[in-house]
Amino acid sequence: MKRRWVLVLALVLAVVSFPPQWYPLSLKLKLTSWFGAADFRALPESVPVPAQQPQSFCPPDPEGWRARQTIEGVQIERSAPCVADNPYEVAAVVRGTNNVSQATLLKSGLAADAVEKGRDLDGDGDPDEIHIRLEVAELNGASALVKGPVTQYEIAPGIKPGLWVFAPKFVGMAVENFASRVARPDLRLPSPSIRIEQGDTVLITLENTHYMPHTIHLHGADHGFVDVSGEGNDGVPLTSEVPVMPGNARTYELQPRHAGTMFYHCHVQPHVHVMMGLQGLFIIEENRPNNWVQTLNIGAGQVRAPSVAQRENFDSEYDLHYLDLDKELGERVQQSNDPRVVTRSMHRDYDITDSTVDYFTLNGRSFPYTFRESLVVGEEDDRIRLHVVNGGSKGIALHTHGHKFTVTDRNGATLPEAARAPQDVVWLATSERADLSLQLINDGTNAYGPGIWLFHDHQYNGVTTDGIGPGGNISAIVYAQYMAENGWPKTQGVPWDNYFTEAFYRREIPVWESYAPGLFSDAGIDWLMLLRVIGLALAAGILAALLISILFRRSGTGAGT
Amino acid sequence: MIAAGSRRTMSLLGACLAVLFAVDGTCQEMADHKGHHGHHMAVTPAGVVMNENRHNLPRGCLEISRDYAFTIHAGRKYASDAPGMIFGMSQHEVKVEPCSRLEITFVNEDQVRHQWMVHGLPAYLYPAGMFHIEASGGQSMTGTFIVPGDDSTYLVHCDMAQHMEKGMRGQLVVGKGSGNLWNVTGISDEFYRPAYLPRSAGLIILLVTGLSFALAAWLLARQRPLSK
Repeated sequence: MKRRWVLVLALVLAVVSFPPQWYPLSLKLKLTSWFGAADFRALPESVPVPAQQPQSFCPPDPEGWRARQTIEGVQIERSAPCVADNPYEVAAVVRGTNNVSQATLLKSGLAADAVEKGRDLDGDGDPDEIHIRLEVAELNGASALVKGPVTQYEIAPGIKPGLWVFAPKFVGMAVENFASRVARPDLRLPSPSIRIEQGDTVLITLENTHYMPHTIHLHGADHGFVDVSGEGNDGVPLTSEVPVMPGNARTYELQPRHAGTMFYHCHVQPHVHVMMGLQGLFIIEENRPNNWVQTLNIGAGQVRAPSVAQRENFDSEYDLHYLDLDKELGERVQQSNDPRVVTRSMHRDYDITDSTVDYFTLNGRSFPYTFRESLVVGEEDDRIRLHVVNGGSKGIALHTHGHKFTVTDRNGATLPEAARAPQDVVWLATSERADLSLQLINDGTNAYGPGIWLFHDHQYNGVTTDGIGPGGNISAIVYAQYMAENGWPKTQGVPWDNYFTEAFYRREIPVWESYAPGLFSDAGIDWLMLLRVIGLALAAGILAALLISILFRRSGTGAGT
Repeated sequence: MIAAGSRRTMSLLGACLAVLFAVDGTCQEMADHKGHHGHHMAVTPAGVVMNENRHNLPRGCLEISRDYAFTIHAGRKYASDAPGMIFGMSQHEVKVEPCSRLEITFVNEDQVRHQWMVHGLPAYLYPAGMFHIEASGGQSMTGTFIVPGDDSTYLVHCDMAQHMEKGMRGQLVVGKGSGNLWNVTGISDEFYRPAYLPRSAGLIILLVTGLSFALAAWLLARQRPLSK
């Protein structure tokens, strides 16, 4: 009766709706032998990509921070890329924040005791008593008052992983202004490079402004296990000392006998704390007369006031701090504002042995932001010093295009001449350092001539941001003639708008859209096919209902007829 | 997103705000450029007092109604009675009469910096609406300011990264105030308060839902004859 007609209707619907491309092969061949191929039907149109609003590639420099200048008698070298360090900060840490004018200190944003420089103990014209104060700051952390991270810091467009950094002792707010949640520009990843002179008497006070315990371990630098008072000086909770609790301070001391490129990091739960960003370069410069070193290099990168020994052999000097980050680790500080919950989440729930790394930073940023501030810029025949550390959990295979560099020092020890063959890849395991000599001499070995030559980790994870490329730690060696006046390199490849767009790193923009619009865009939807599938689903539902009603009738529970 | 250039300007301005000496021209220029009046500051090695105001009456105030002196201690030990908090102040609420003058002595008992910063004050007296005391570790700083004549509640906090979030958030209630602010330690609840359920909550919810379903189905099945 009625039910029979319903059955017929459902079967007809199923047959009509069934998509021909899903017919069994035998049926398809049979139909072809009768009627030939089906008529042409164009594939769906490409999905149009909404107009993007890329960020400014190259922010302006209204205060002239990029220019070569002399402040407080400190010669500060020109910084070629768009975004330069604050030269007043550089001057203040070269002279000592206790030795500069109030005006310079004011413009530096540093506390009066951020870097104190005292007596000249060996009478060679530079201070040998150095007292550095570091705080600990959380970037992109949680709040129970607002959604989204606070004290924000972007490593790439839209990418804000939870981070911990050692920070210079500033004064004032952690954010750029009263109405903003964005961190002040000098409160950033990586923790600052520290530079001292061989033989200096150095005090480093950790003022723990963070909500968890921390220490400082001077990895590779010549320091005693205990300080003069017998207190632990190695930063290791297991063997040396109780960590510095929130709100407390502790002073570490050292008087290193050898120069070299070393490392410093927190040693509390290091598999978590070091990987959150509590790590920095620690460089001991050779002793020279009148050697005022740039004690802090905020954000690493170019050393604007190189030491005497560096100036003897090199035209410019750069700190390159590589760090990989696990997105799932950084998220944990954003998921709760309760330190107890965060502590459990980071140290017990998180399992680094099951982890993967997602972000790859050079000097605290990923591509394309690396091009704003971490370009290595030189002229032909320049000799460039690169101090490289791999602070990440995985090795890096650092590769230079267009150049072969020489590794002169490894892990703070000078290599013999015989071991210094020109290389275009250097492997750096976790926490390894290398000092590279990069000579822009166009001889077919050292360099192949002027240009914009990439340098990057040649492991392919490293050139992506969470698997989206180009990203990661890509930067470039750029010759002066390839630099525009505003500090942006004169690239002659593809447009870069996509890379300065948050949506690109959210996987929303087809990778070649900017120069092949439509050609490789997302394929659209076949609406007829969707209609057929809906028809099939309708038929299936009706058939299922019929089946159930039959079963119910048989068991005597149905309503009948 | 704000263009990075203006960010940098603002940051330098921020640095100015933090340590400005009243006579520094550059900061004055920058502040003017940004449309703010210059901040009034006093700096000592122990810390910073910004926008101190002993005599200028806010609009609507005919005289200083009353003088108060508060000593507010800050540090980790003042968070100890609030679970989940790391830093705190000896009092997270200050209640005063309209048009009164407050002398705040901020005693930092930690070994790291802390701040007592008020937001939302009238900008014609307090540039950017701020009155700010910053004390270095182990130091104490004193500053004075005059509150407006309206009933209003103002935010007081420490603007170091995560210090407000981890306990250093208070309020200044003038007159009857304008209602409690959220997330004030010991005064008001968290705006995004987490659930704090046992880890087995999922299982409990599943079991209870299953039981209630079974019970309801059984009750409904018993009533079926009535539907005929």
